[in-house]
Amino acid sequence: MTAKSSIGARMGRTIRSFAAGAALVTLGLANAGDAGAADRIKIEWWNAAGGRLAEITNKLIADFNASQDKYEVVGIGKGNYEETMAAMVAAYRVHQQPVLIQAAERGFLTMYNSGAVIPVPELMEKEGYKIDWNDFLAPVAGFYLVDGKPAAMPFNSSTPIFWYNADHFKAAGFDKPGETWQELDKQLGAIKEKGVSKCQMALANDFYWSLIENYAAIQDQPYGTKANGFGGLDTEFIFNKSPLVVGQVTRLKTWLDAGILQIAGQGLSPDQLFTSGTCSTYVASTAAHAAVESGAKFNWSATFLPHEEGIEPKNSTIGGGALWVLKGKSEEEYAGAAAFLNFLASPKTQVWWSKQTGYVPVTNAAYEQAKSEGYFKDHPTREIAILQLTRGTPTDNSRGFRFGNHNQSMALLVEEIQGVWTGQKTPQQALDAAAARGNQILRQYEQLHAAK
Amino acid sequence: MQQSRTFGKMGGAARRLRIPDILSTGRRSAQPSEPGLKSAHFNKPWLAFGLVAPQLLILLFFFFIPSYKALSLAFVQVDPFGGTQIFVGLENFYNLFASPEYRGSALFTLWFAVAQNAATLLLAGLFAFATDFVIRGRGIYKSIILLPYAIAPVISGVIWAFLFNPAVGPIAQFLHELGLEWDPNRRPFDAQLLVTIASVWKNVCYDYIFLVAALLAVPVSLLEAAKLDGARPVRRFFTISLPLISPTIFFLVVMNFVYGLFETFGIIDAVTRGGPAGATNSLVYKVYQDGFVQLDLGSSAAQSVLLMLIAILFTIVQFRALERKVNYQV
Repeated sequence: MTAKSSIGARMGRTIRSFAAGAALVTLGLANAGDAGAADRIKIEWWNAAGGRLAEITNKLIADFNASQDKYEVVGIGKGNYEETMAAMVAAYRVHQQPVLIQAAERGFLTMYNSGAVIPVPELMEKEGYKIDWNDFLAPVAGFYLVDGKPAAMPFNSSTPIFWYNADHFKAAGFDKPGETWQELDKQLGAIKEKGVSKCQMALANDFYWSLIENYAAIQDQPYGTKANGFGGLDTEFIFNKSPLVVGQVTRLKTWLDAGILQIAGQGLSPDQLFTSGTCSTYVASTAAHAAVESGAKFNWSATFLPHEEGIEPKNSTIGGGALWVLKGKSEEEYAGAAAFLNFLASPKTQVWWSKQTGYVPVTNAAYEQAKSEGYFKDHPTREIAILQLTRGTPTDNSRGFRFGNHNQSMALLVEEIQGVWTGQKTPQQALDAAAARGNQILRQYEQLHAAK
Repeated sequence: MQQSRTFGKMGGAARRLRIPDILSTGRRSAQPSEPGLKSAHFNKPWLAFGLVAPQLLILLFFFFIPSYKALSLAFVQVDPFGGTQIFVGLENFYNLFASPEYRGSALFTLWFAVAQNAATLLLAGLFAFATDFVIRGRGIYKSIILLPYAIAPVISGVIWAFLFNPAVGPIAQFLHELGLEWDPNRRPFDAQLLVTIASVWKNVCYDYIFLVAALLAVPVSLLEAAKLDGARPVRRFFTISLPLISPTIFFLVVMNFVYGLFETFGIIDAVTRGGPAGATNSLVYKVYQDGFVQLDLGSSAAQSVLLMLIAILFTIVQFRALERKVNYQV
């Protein structure tokens, strides 16, 4: 035997034994896994829950998994909504997508036109589940329903509300926050002057949603043409033409300069600025209930978002997320996904989820159930979101926003408004630039999707 | 006997590699070497190919395929889900050059790369120079300087962001007490400075290692001669050590540029997220933001093609300079 072939033989043996070993290890692991969940079908769900909400979401998943023995939902947190969406799109392009994805209301049109989703009603019908699509709360239905049916399952719906530190208001001699921005301006100034708190308002990371978009809706200002995009892809941003919206940005800038409004910045969450008692008020989602209830050690309360003096406030718009079913998975996985969605749609789950998180119950049945239990009497701040969402008759300006690639135009709106914070641009200049750049994105989107 | 058998075994491999037989058997081979070939070459091409295959595979998967993808996406507008694709020619590039945001990003990147480079080299040089004069606890001194290299950029970025956070950061509070206005959320220069400091802190140890090694290689005889002539440490450094370590410095300048341009993504993401108002949006961070967060794949691909051109330019400059100007002989 020559030296060469002996080396070859030895290597062959090594490779064989290594492969055998690896196979054994794999088998062992597979067996260990099976022992826990007797060949359950795994349903991957990528979600955007963070902090306290992630804990509650995991509990929800655990409850579903315990409720039956056929499917196992695997919840994977992928960061915030934008990050989750980006991860999903990247995965979709290489056919590694999950079955279920939680996408924000902002992504509605993008998801709807993506060609990558299976409409939820279609799936539920095929799998033999009956869900009454007419039972959704009006603002939820108004946003998610297209031709009477939702493309996605409305899941965690929210809207921004006004959080405040009641101790701070009391110390400054106020019973509660004023109803208008003008009154609030005076109150926050007084709290600052009396030295009650270090900062009077924490700026939420999603302030573009709570303080700009919802501001436009409540004040009945058009954000875009064609009923904020509901009327067609040829919509255009016109928020820069509303003196009120420009005035809102100006107000925020004035407050920043006066040290009333505080940006949290990197390394710190604005939630913490409020729950630690540093800042007196905070405009954020009703879903902040989860964090505030577990974190705030003072008399906190919440109320409706302020409105401009002399204006009859409209409803605020729906936020939060919906669950979308993605194409390209196996029949078994779809059966499991349908079972999970059915579990989520039940009033029992809805009420539990809403109580835990502060999200709005999305169906009338769930809302009535919570009401009849007297839940809102004991937790009045939990009802603010629903009351605010259903206030008055929605107009074209307050129904919501349906823009293609809205993540993108939102990101550059934030970039432009930051230019106001830094003093490089006036509010008008920044909003003009944001609208112009946003319109480019809308035109690109229209160009790509016009053929469909 | 034992020895010769070992050599015999090696002979096979040596013959294949055309290592002159004198090395393996101790006497010259009777076979004359083939003309026109270098003394070490492969007779069997498959072996040569096999040996470079791992490297080629890495290049294929991490360079050629991504480059091809980037090039193919740079000239189209594409629905992120891959459903629709429209050829737009050079529009993506045209839009980039027309956009003040992109020009701002390029300008910041240049400023950042130069400032970071200069500060890193200066600090590392100072630390390296001082190493000789630290007598007690030299090990501790070196460890402390080398420590940042072991920390993941994102972790260090988060710590920097927190320390300098105007609302809660201890260092920010200290700066405020000194009467300095410090707010990286609202003052673009503060944000740029913070990103630069964090990047320098992270990279200084890399330069330090090379500079210490280079300084050790400076012949002691030269330094002692200068000492006898009465030259003080600083003068010895500038007149003897510095010229002798200039090849290392040139190498580090190039490496620092590459670091500043391409590897500071994690720090920027953790410290400023490219803000405020795009003030710290470096070219690489913008590729990520536009492509992976905002899903504008066409523009993002066009940007990465431009970055690739910059990287190629750097490589050419480095090789040219290495060949002609910088002398590695000490």
